[in-house]
Amino acid sequence: MKFLNKIIFFYFREYKLNMSGVQDILTNIIFFFVSIFIFIFSIGPDKETISLIGVGIVWTLLLLSSTLSLRKFYQDDFENGNLLIIHLNGLSFGFIAILKTFSHFLFVQVPFLLSIPIACVLLNIANDKLFYLLTSFGIASLTLSCLGSISSSMNLMNQRNYLLGSVIVMIFSVPIIIFSVSIINMEENFNSLINILFGILLIVFAINPWASGLCLKLSLENN
Amino acid sequence: MLIVKDLSVQRLDKAIFENISLSLSPRNITILKGKNGSGKTTLLKAILNIIEPSFGSIYWKGKLLKKNLYDFYNHVTYIPDTTTSLKKLTIRDNINIWKKFFISDINNAQIETALKTLKLDNNLNKKVGTLSFGETKKLEFLRLIIENKNVWILDEPFSNLDDDSIELMKQTFEDHCANEGSIIFSSHQNPGIYVTEEMEL
Repeated sequence: MKFLNKIIFFYFREYKLNMSGVQDILTNIIFFFVSIFIFIFSIGPDKETISLIGVGIVWTLLLLSSTLSLRKFYQDDFENGNLLIIHLNGLSFGFIAILKTFSHFLFVQVPFLLSIPIACVLLNIANDKLFYLLTSFGIASLTLSCLGSISSSMNLMNQRNYLLGSVIVMIFSVPIIIFSVSIINMEENFNSLINILFGILLIVFAINPWASGLCLKLSLENN
Repeated sequence: MLIVKDLSVQRLDKAIFENISLSLSPRNITILKGKNGSGKTTLLKAILNIIEPSFGSIYWKGKLLKKNLYDFYNHVTYIPDTTTSLKKLTIRDNINIWKKFFISDINNAQIETALKTLKLDNNLNKKVGTLSFGETKKLEFLRLIIENKNVWILDEPFSNLDDDSIELMKQTFEDHCANEGSIIFSSHQNPGIYVTEEMEL
């Protein structure tokens, strides 16, 4: 019960922190929509073209926008010693990584999930594709959060080059993008592609606490 | 309770400190003294099992610390030399988070008394980022009362504190020891606190 309370109040802390910096979440969403507008203006008013490449645009921008927040994943808690304090409260580094990953999913990815229907209207994406887009992003965004956790924890040991973390996430997200976009364009293969996406999620989810936990421990040791 | 035996830490083949031994029992206060870079913080982190020692071992309640780690963590409060309070939030929010996260059995009246003693009671709705260094440091000490644990490990607890606050800390240390508590703290120099063991690094 005590352990469960620690988890609940970890999220209470994350909620308070994210609400005090709600402008960061809004900035990500604004970046996402402004980028969509730039794409629309640069492509021109042809509805068919926009509709054809709309899903690709949404996925590319979702990926870019979610990498914007990666720097904050562990950095603040690492610098002010909170990571250590949370660990001393009885949570292992691997478990902290899992909690932080879900926190990133809730406070960074879910707002994007809610923005997708509006983006679909702007990019003339058919309503029947919206379901596939939301389902694929729902699974893939958690995978992206896991990748974000690994790259951000690695970045703590490499304070000089923050972009490296984003590059790692983008490289490893290529298969996610391929299968997610395929779901929307090959609806008849929905079940098999969604299973592949789930498979990728499970692999990354299993690696995440081990890899991130180790990086967090090493970065605190060398701090 | 806590025994450190022949502890050495090396980094990049350079010894930070070598063959340090100390023990901490209830009612004990140990001071780690030394210049900047002498390894005080490293020793504290090694005791907390954050840094892997090159040689030596640490025991908690008769068992190797690594095998009894989470029991040790249940009994220890660590105050680092950084500000762990969340700067974007108010003092009140920070206290609420700590109280809940550490599942503290301290009641509101006790916290109010502590806030009054620390002269922070008028700033409850102020964001921590707007407080002075001294006020932030005093807020950090509030976590000692909220966590209510036996072993206090403090890194440079007296930096940025005025004379009144140092006096208050002296009294707090004495009260904690009277309640079977024990303290290890690092400092450049002892500001007149009664200690049972003094270690020069």
